[in-house]
Amino acid sequence: MNAITKKKRRIALGCEGSANKLGIGVILHEGDLSSPSSTCTSRVLSNVRHTFVSPPGTGFLPKDTARHHRAFFVRVAKQALADAGVSAADIDCVCYTRGPGMGAPLTSVAVAARTLALLWGRDLVGVNHCVGHIEMGRAITGAEHPVVLYVSGGNTQVIAYAEQRYRIFGETLDIAVGNCLDRFARALAISNDPAPGYNIEQLAKQGGRVLLDLPYAVKGMDCSFSGILTRAEELAAQMKAGGKGPDGEPFTGADLCFSLQETVFAMLVEITERAMAHVGSSQVLIVGGVGCNERLQDMMGAMAADRGGSVYATDERFCIDNGIMIAHAGLLAYETGFRTLMEESTCTQRFRTDEVFVKWRR
Amino acid sequence: MATDAPDAFPCALTLDVPFPDARLASVALQALRVDKELSSLVKRDLTAVAVEGSPDPSVLRVEYKAATNRMLRVAVNSFLESLALVLEVQEELDVDAVEALQA
Repeated sequence: MNAITKKKRRIALGCEGSANKLGIGVILHEGDLSSPSSTCTSRVLSNVRHTFVSPPGTGFLPKDTARHHRAFFVRVAKQALADAGVSAADIDCVCYTRGPGMGAPLTSVAVAARTLALLWGRDLVGVNHCVGHIEMGRAITGAEHPVVLYVSGGNTQVIAYAEQRYRIFGETLDIAVGNCLDRFARALAISNDPAPGYNIEQLAKQGGRVLLDLPYAVKGMDCSFSGILTRAEELAAQMKAGGKGPDGEPFTGADLCFSLQETVFAMLVEITERAMAHVGSSQVLIVGGVGCNERLQDMMGAMAADRGGSVYATDERFCIDNGIMIAHAGLLAYETGFRTLMEESTCTQRFRTDEVFVKWRR
Repeated sequence: MATDAPDAFPCALTLDVPFPDARLASVALQALRVDKELSSLVKRDLTAVAVEGSPDPSVLRVEYKAATNRMLRVAVNSFLESLALVLEVQEELDVDAVEALQA
């Protein structure tokens, strides 16, 4: 175990499949771990992803998603290794997503990751998906002490680091904001390619003439999206039946997308600001697939600027689920002596962000 | 480990999966035995055994017992899908195969 801390170059393979994206990446950490004064750098050697897209009007189901991950694992892994130009001997550990996420997809990737670890004679490192997003966001943007807004199809949390834990300051009380958007897309049969949220964002740009009335559900530090989804679905049905908007004119899918985004994003900005006030931070780091949304970035940026701060966000390579974040967070843990025993390398659908002991930070 | 009453799990199936060598059979065994069966009405036993002709345990033996034939079928099919993945990874991503990728 201590052998890894003596190495100046450390390389990890990371495998992610908690939802419909299969991602495998290779990361390089360089620097002297034993010397407190030297700085360590991270470099992305490869980051390959393949997404399982379901037809418009549908969502992705666990069994089909797991089948997709099994079908594409070898292909994606080979691409990741080839892009990185590394052999099995170069890799120090095999990291995989332990959770949270969907059971069958998680397990399908874990089985393959275990096989690689056994074939190559390397340790396994189980990684918390949320911590993966956070660590990758920190590495890419260089944000120092941000409040983190983690927003995706599966998660919505406001997080701040304190004493070796990523503490959850606020979160959704029911569904994730991305889940709200993804399920709303089905009501309008919006394409899931490349992602329903992306297509909602584009359609929303054609809206803006009218703001439809949707419930605004912030509850203290937390928020709720299932009621908004229900109302948005109702409005979609009314629209199809020829309903009129608040100005007496018919409204469109674009108007609905615009209104939904404005409402849910304003809620996210509010709970993020509340956490910033509690923690005394002016920086916001947005991670997770919904973090790709430019309207959300703009709204958050306006709030942060009002507080004399700024917003950090990554591009789609890193905010959408990917394997490199698992490799990076996994290697950070491995470098502190953490590893996952083969017999314990199960997956779990529920895995709180604050369960992880963040030993690699002070 | 207590033996379950045979009547409780009347539907059974044993599969012997041959591997090129004991190492690969062991890799498959270790990778596949980690996850528990999802249903308490299905029991699974995984071992690596030697069969006639070979002194080494290069055969993966999986013994399934279930309460109904339907549960047995579902469990075995699911196992086979995971097994197929393990085999594909062994074929394409073993140490020598990865070396060949870089060539």
